Amino acid sequence: MKTSVKFTVICLMAIFSLSFISCNPDDEGDTVKPVINLLEPAEGDILKIGDDHGVHFDMELSDNVMLKSYKVNIHSNFDGHKHARSHAHARSSEATVNFSFNKSWDVTGKNTSIHHHEIVIPENATPGNYHLMVYCTDAAGNESHIARNIVLSHEVEEHTH
Amino acid sequence: MRAKIILAMLLVVSVLSVYTQDSIKIVELENITVTGLSFKSASKRNSALPVDVVGKEFLKEHFTGNLIQTLEHTPGVRSMDIGSGFSKPMIRGMGFNRVSVTENGIKQEGQQWGSDHGLEIDAFNVELVIIRKGPSSLLYGSDAMGGTIEISQTPPPLDNQIFGDVALLEKTVNGTLGGSMALGIKKNAWYCKLRYSEQHFGDYRIPADTIVYLTQRMPVHDRRLKNTAGIERNFNFYTAYQKGRYLSNYALSNIYQKVGFFPGAHGIPDASRIQDDGDSRNIELPYSTVNHFKLTSHQQYAWDKLIGSWDVGYQNNHREEWSLFHTHYGMQLPPEDNPDKELEFNLNTYSSSLKVMIPKSYSCEYRGGWDVQYQQNQIDGYSFLLPKYNRFTIGMFGLLNWKMSKQLLLIGGLRYDYGRVDITQYKDPYLKEYLQSAGYDDNMIEKYEWRSYEVKRNFGDFSGSFGMVWNLKDQHLLKANIGNSFRLPGANELAANGVHHGTFRHEQGNPTLNSERGWQLDASYQHESKGMRMSLSPFINWFSNYIYLKPTGEWSVLPHTGQIYRYTENKAFFAGAELTFGVDLFARLDYSFAGEYVYTYNLDERTPLSFSPPPSMRNTLTWRKDELQFFVELHSIASQKRVAKNEDPTMGAHLINLGGNITLPIDKMMIEIGFSLQNLSDTKYYNHLSFYRKVEIPEPGRNLQLLIKIPFKNKLK
Repeated sequence: MKTSVKFTVICLMAIFSLSFISCNPDDEGDTVKPVINLLEPAEGDILKIGDDHGVHFDMELSDNVMLKSYKVNIHSNFDGHKHARSHAHARSSEATVNFSFNKSWDVTGKNTSIHHHEIVIPENATPGNYHLMVYCTDAAGNESHIARNIVLSHEVEEHTH
Repeated sequence: MRAKIILAMLLVVSVLSVYTQDSIKIVELENITVTGLSFKSASKRNSALPVDVVGKEFLKEHFTGNLIQTLEHTPGVRSMDIGSGFSKPMIRGMGFNRVSVTENGIKQEGQQWGSDHGLEIDAFNVELVIIRKGPSSLLYGSDAMGGTIEISQTPPPLDNQIFGDVALLEKTVNGTLGGSMALGIKKNAWYCKLRYSEQHFGDYRIPADTIVYLTQRMPVHDRRLKNTAGIERNFNFYTAYQKGRYLSNYALSNIYQKVGFFPGAHGIPDASRIQDDGDSRNIELPYSTVNHFKLTSHQQYAWDKLIGSWDVGYQNNHREEWSLFHTHYGMQLPPEDNPDKELEFNLNTYSSSLKVMIPKSYSCEYRGGWDVQYQQNQIDGYSFLLPKYNRFTIGMFGLLNWKMSKQLLLIGGLRYDYGRVDITQYKDPYLKEYLQSAGYDDNMIEKYEWRSYEVKRNFGDFSGSFGMVWNLKDQHLLKANIGNSFRLPGANELAANGVHHGTFRHEQGNPTLNSERGWQLDASYQHESKGMRMSLSPFINWFSNYIYLKPTGEWSVLPHTGQIYRYTENKAFFAGAELTFGVDLFARLDYSFAGEYVYTYNLDERTPLSFSPPPSMRNTLTWRKDELQFFVELHSIASQKRVAKNEDPTMGAHLINLGGNITLPIDKMMIEIGFSLQNLSDTKYYNHLSFYRKVEIPEPGRNLQLLIKIPFKNKLK
């Protein structure tokens, strides 16, 4: 009896120790996020409404393996986060429209410089505080994003920032 | 399939076993004068898994007003915190729906899946906790694959008496003021307890003047994290009746929690929202409230050769998340009623279980059981995350304990579970308008305007385990267990679709998921001799389809989000160990070590899994003399650099904690005073598992805590 007990125990322990050794996974996947260096627009920049030339957008993206895509989103931020109520108000007045922008572009490589004027703010855009967000993903699904406070206005002097 | 079911039924019927949830009661029936210690060793020896019994002394020494933060002092258990007040448990790297918490035999059902949702339990009302690490789904159902935290009652006093206590709790880090009052009576067959507790805490202090959030530096006024205050208001009633072979108990509780969220972490960083409002105790928007009502009953009868028990419970978990009405759809107007109610979940859970146990006939002990649960989840609010659903689960199990010899016990069991989920579709009218105005084409709009589709899924599967307990000469205890466990996907994993605040993530369910399956291997060794004790518990888990949120690389069409995170099945591997060691240095001085390590790996993505607890250890020196006790502890948390995609590495820290307990006899009363000083050096550190980690908010700073408890009792004739 005693030997059978010991034998059972030893067998079970052997199974355990073997399984501890046998599982040894290999190299790790990519968990490094892409890096966004947004040069223009800068924090607090005032962007001109109705400028046909478009917003000067200047950015550098880099990743350790492979970039995939980036997305730019601009939405209003009137009066902190209460702006939904002013939306309703703005709609009834019909004078201006809250500007909103949503577009993504595919990119490749480890480093890329982006420069375009594709963001055009129409004449009827409501002036005020807006948020600009840039999201970037790499091929593995790592994502980084940054947020900027921007102002849309009819009168724009030279950039102060 | 049918053959499988019949097989399982035959097994259960023929064995007609049953495990009574609470071995305490069995022990009690067999032996009235059971001591805490013998119960402790009995429950450890009855399970092939590592079991920690957390008794009154431990709970007193580590009391924090938050049960999970107290249990964190047990290696293998970690607390996932939501600010300074509320937490949820993680065992060996598994949290959320992979850990079950039961109270009085009924599984606690709230919205466990949410990273900012805490556990609704009154810490003052907890007397005994049994922690089972490793696969416990055999006994506790599908969600217990990571382990269980079983909250139980200590046996009633033997003599007739009136008893009670008054407790006061104070903490400096967040200005906690807490109190609890209990009154109870033991009269012959009856035992009743009533407890009311309340805790109020203010904004918590962090050892930092600024935090960096989304690349923007945000000021922290007065080193207090704005709007993290909260309150807790709890009511508990418990009554037990025991006469001869019959035992029953009834428990009624209502837990209410309200906690504010740091507004700087709710959406886009905006300095205007985190300006000091001059009040550190107010709870402004955004905040959440949860009310958990629970009514349970336990009936048990011991025949000569069979013990049968029946548990039944009803729970209502009502959670609301409030945030000033905001939308990025443009066209959505605030609702007429409660315009600022962002999300509401109202979950009703009905559970029942029958258990039978045939105590030792020769060397075998049979247990068996049947349990059933029905859930209804209702939703409301101007935002959408989780749909309305109904969920029904039923399970049956049989378990055999075979005492091969005086030293060797073999335990084997089999379980069959069946589950049915019925998810209601939800169409978002505003999203359609938004997408139209944003210029998406009709195909895209048709695809995305449905926030959730109707999903009707059935799941059914076997799980089983086999283990041994080898008790050599009382000094050595060796355990091993192999289990094949499974878990039904949660409603969130099948059908969530929306942005949960603070995360910026569009989380999307996947209605085609299979039930999660895995093999779990556990071993443990315990040694106890005079003046020395140690334990080592290694484990390995392998999952063929571990369900997690995977970044898809697809941009979400929802405003304010990046890519879609979709629940996905991957092969995953977990391994780790807990090590404890204790030695009596001198007559009154005792040194103890507790350490833990968890390794996680996603075999398909070749990356670690998210929320992997960093390795940690506690070195503690304790000095005891009669009713006096002091301790000093060095708590070291290693850096966690093994992170999943889109998770940030977290630096480690060394924390020094001090504390003591004293019992003062004043006028026939024994007044218990406990004090502790946590994070003595006011070190700035992060908890990799905290909800606020994502937004770079450090953990609370130095904290001085005082607990005064005045118990009283009066013997009755």
